[in-house]
Amino acid sequence: MLPRPLLLLLAALLLSPLAQADPGLVLVVNARSGVDRLTLDDAVNIFMGRYRQLPSGLAALPIDQPENQPEKARFYRLLVHKDLAEINAYWARLIFSGKTSPPHQAKSSAEILDLLARQPGAIAYLERSQVDSRFRIVLELER
Amino acid sequence: MNGKNKMKQGHHLLTALALALSMAAVNPAGAADQSQEDVAGHRLSLHGFGTLGLARSDDDDAQFVRDLSQPSGLTSRWSTKVDSMIGLQAGYRFNDKLEGVLQVVSRYHSEGNFSPEVSWAFLRYDPDPTASVRIGRLGTEFYMLADSRLVGYANLTVRPPPDYFGPLVLSYIDGIDGAKSVPVGNGLLRGKLFTGVSPEKMSLSDGLYWNMSGSLVVGGHLDYLTGPWQIRIGQTRVRFDKDLPINEYTGLDITGQVPEMSVVGKWTRYDSLGVVYDNSPFQLQLMLSRIDQGSAAFEDSRAGYAIASYRTGNVTPFLGYSRTKSDANHFNSTPPLEQATAAFLSASTHSDQHTWFLGARWDLRKDLDLKAQVDWVRGSPGSVFPFRAETPSWDGHMTVFSLALDYVF
Repeated sequence: MLPRPLLLLLAALLLSPLAQADPGLVLVVNARSGVDRLTLDDAVNIFMGRYRQLPSGLAALPIDQPENQPEKARFYRLLVHKDLAEINAYWARLIFSGKTSPPHQAKSSAEILDLLARQPGAIAYLERSQVDSRFRIVLELER
Repeated sequence: MNGKNKMKQGHHLLTALALALSMAAVNPAGAADQSQEDVAGHRLSLHGFGTLGLARSDDDDAQFVRDLSQPSGLTSRWSTKVDSMIGLQAGYRFNDKLEGVLQVVSRYHSEGNFSPEVSWAFLRYDPDPTASVRIGRLGTEFYMLADSRLVGYANLTVRPPPDYFGPLVLSYIDGIDGAKSVPVGNGLLRGKLFTGVSPEKMSLSDGLYWNMSGSLVVGGHLDYLTGPWQIRIGQTRVRFDKDLPINEYTGLDITGQVPEMSVVGKWTRYDSLGVVYDNSPFQLQLMLSRIDQGSAAFEDSRAGYAIASYRTGNVTPFLGYSRTKSDANHFNSTPPLEQATAAFLSASTHSDQHTWFLGARWDLRKDLDLKAQVDWVRGSPGSVFPFRAETPSWDGHMTVFSLALDYVF
């Protein structure tokens, strides 16, 4: 049996061409949020406004990528297999019945990184290349 | 406390809320903590929704209405009346726990016109992310999806199935509700309780109104959400405060001679079960309900519907089936004239029909859709409650053609 780091390296090498073809997205939180992992169900609950409490007890502050960025449409496809018109219809129901609000709509990628760095409860989806040491990846969304 | 005082109280509450909202709008800086302001973005939000509907039936022997708040409905001529509406909503976020919302809707309703109504006006307090309390004017949620039944863009069909949602004439209450969510297993359990007083009136045929103001509404429901499933059971009870205007209408002392025709102080119970399976691109909705009337003025009824849809690109075709049936009341009291009249009036709330409907929603943009739908109503000639202005030759069969353009902003 190969040692674990080697196995991981092997897996990374094997998967890397695939990952480059479709890099997927990663869900990240502030490194101080006290959260290590989230399940897909947790992510759905937070971004669809069903349950916005992180496992550490902090209030989750979900952030959406700018409307015109392809990441937003890709994220909701990966998360709930819905396109943005369906997501808008979903939020129309909740907004006009006075329930929860949609995720904070960021105006730029810089704004997302800034909020993630400053707000302990902030949670956002990014390209893996955008992640730095201030953030922690809690879920990987692959096709 | 009588109904008038309750209504007055409701007005005061609304005035206070409107005042709070407008003051908040004038002074948006407030004393907010900086970090929250960044995340909340604009503290004042403005949204709107609307539908431009065009529909007609193939039958002038009864008029098709969207729900029983509408005093008249469709004939065989194209009309924009039953489905067109516009709603405007302003929200103001005081801080991350407190928000105020005001919504005004203009649609064809019990007044026989499009005069705007305040459909929501409440303060919402979220003590933590899993709980919320709202006080003020609140949309009623007798059944699943009922509190958003006017928002065409949020719904798949041109209108919520009238066989099921038609008898819901109470669209808002002045009161309070509270909701709480708890994770259970892989899913989420959500409970909600609400109570309040109705400020509304219902249009009956022949230009008569039933003043429902002062009616007490108490209800709640329990949801379980897991993966693509959402399941809800709910119950709402209504205790009406004022009688139907049947004595004025008939010139007889019906409620005196046939006391079971009186609705005052009696509880009507609405039980419901709803299931939504949303595994995009496939979606299924299934709802069942039972209305147990406290009075013989209305027949007890059961209703249900199912809608299946499959999204292909921007177009989502759907197929649905709805059914409603009520049970005739029997009167044994004397005198015979009042008894016969009571039986006649009660039978005017009879429904026994099913509807097949087929259509498609086309998402033109992310804030605009176009829908086309055909409804085939098949019922007995005695199925008159869901309609307006039936003639003696009404046979219970009708086809309805509908187009709708829905938007949000």
